[in-house]
Amino acid sequence: MYFKGINSYGDRGLVLDFGNETSKSISQEVNEAFLNISNLNLPSLNIIPSFNKIVVIFENSKIRDQNKDKISMKMKDTNSQNNKKITKTWEIPACYNEDFALDMKIIQKLHQITKEEVINLHSSVRYYTYYIGFMPGFPYLGDVPYQLITPRLATPRVKIPARSIGIAKNHTCIYPKVSPGGWNIIGQIPFDIFDLQRSYPSLFLPGDEVKFYSVSLSEFQKIRKYNFSLNELIKEYSS
Amino acid sequence: MNSIIITRAGTHSTIQDFGRFQYQHLGVSPSGAMDQRIIIELQKIIPNHQNQFIEFAYVGPSIKVKEGSVKICVGGNCNMSIQKNNNSQLECQPYKSINLFEGDELIIHNTIDSVYGYIAFEHGLGLEPCLNSYSTDTKAGIGSINRLLNNEDIFHISKDVSSWDLISIPKPDLEKVTNFKVYPGPQLQYFSDNTLQSFISGVFTITNQSDRMGIRLKGESLISSKSHDILSEGILPGSIQVPSDGQPIVLMRDIPCTGGYPKIAILNEVDISRISQLPPETKITFDLQTIY
Repeated sequence: MYFKGINSYGDRGLVLDFGNETSKSISQEVNEAFLNISNLNLPSLNIIPSFNKIVVIFENSKIRDQNKDKISMKMKDTNSQNNKKITKTWEIPACYNEDFALDMKIIQKLHQITKEEVINLHSSVRYYTYYIGFMPGFPYLGDVPYQLITPRLATPRVKIPARSIGIAKNHTCIYPKVSPGGWNIIGQIPFDIFDLQRSYPSLFLPGDEVKFYSVSLSEFQKIRKYNFSLNELIKEYSS
Repeated sequence: MNSIIITRAGTHSTIQDFGRFQYQHLGVSPSGAMDQRIIIELQKIIPNHQNQFIEFAYVGPSIKVKEGSVKICVGGNCNMSIQKNNNSQLECQPYKSINLFEGDELIIHNTIDSVYGYIAFEHGLGLEPCLNSYSTDTKAGIGSINRLLNNEDIFHISKDVSSWDLISIPKPDLEKVTNFKVYPGPQLQYFSDNTLQSFISGVFTITNQSDRMGIRLKGESLISSKSHDILSEGILPGSIQVPSDGQPIVLMRDIPCTGGYPKIAILNEVDISRISQLPPETKITFDLQTIY
């Protein structure tokens, strides 16, 4: 149990505090609490999990104060409940071809390893989705094997292609769409992870597990051409 | 069928409503009208606005009726006129409903001693919501129209005007405030008593690097005694964050969903609307509330 307590955030927000450290087990507790609070169906405007905090926003201080106790009680109650696991485990095709792996050489050089070793290491781990942030649908995944831990680019790239896979520090990510950014780009996935046309826009949710597997350029192009629906993606690539 | 065409978009015109909620955990910002007080007032004149307002800043848009007729109302403090079909010019005022007929053009020249203004349309603008809201976040590319409005944009309003009766309300008293009560931010303790004293007693100037995402202030440097780099956490509009240069930024409606700078304080909801109307070079002060 990492939960420390609930503090006010201005006149209409609350911060649930899970300490100042970051780890998968802290995030598991955060994301479980996120689901528990979401399931209370409070009249909140937004519930935002991150590494070790959950921010809950209400329309005004009156509504906030009326609902604070319900959250407190739910947090005390967490141990006694059976949480139905609704998170998914994803197996995502990743193409590490040099056309996409814009910063592969930086990582190879820093860690003195071959391209194949980078690919094997990156696709060897089942990553945890810490949270979604920065831009719509952007998952913070981790942790990458220590041999791949790499600082952000000294000069951020102005335009990172959509669906690019990046590494920064001990995290890996997928850019949902074209964006500026400072992560080291090592590959690309063949389908969109955030799509407003879908019934639910974000493919990943906090707490989901994500494992990459390496595909050839021709396999990548084949999947890319096929326009998956959300249900097809879930059926094909998650369990 | 009634339709309007944007004949001059202005530089910052977007579709907005009261905000997009329940999606911030997926990285989607709340957005919504910068000055929510005005669209609340406009509701009294155009109750059936369908939550589809045009927001403009500084330079207003010009809108011409292409087909049929429409009933609209403008809110905010701005200069405007109507160029009638027969070339005559009509004066018009905010907070009074306006009936526009085919060929009529509403020209909003500029906002006066303020930043944002709004137009409400009876029956809305014929838009489909995006993630349960009509608001636009141009940076994230999210919205019924996911970009700034352009010249030649056309909106179809299928329903006809319900009544030609002219409705008006007294000009609302949206007093200009430059001293803001703020509440302690989650990282208040990142700042020493001396720095907090500078925050409270100092005068900060609104810079022209301000937009729907944030208002950048210039003033005495507020250097943290701990760090300007925190682990990213959820943030809400009105938060005053301080990056390592010590110059505070008031986060506005198109906030990034999580942020990694310490937040010294936070404005209350109505003050977000108030501060949004202060043009660059306005000097402001903060009053830290300790009990809340």
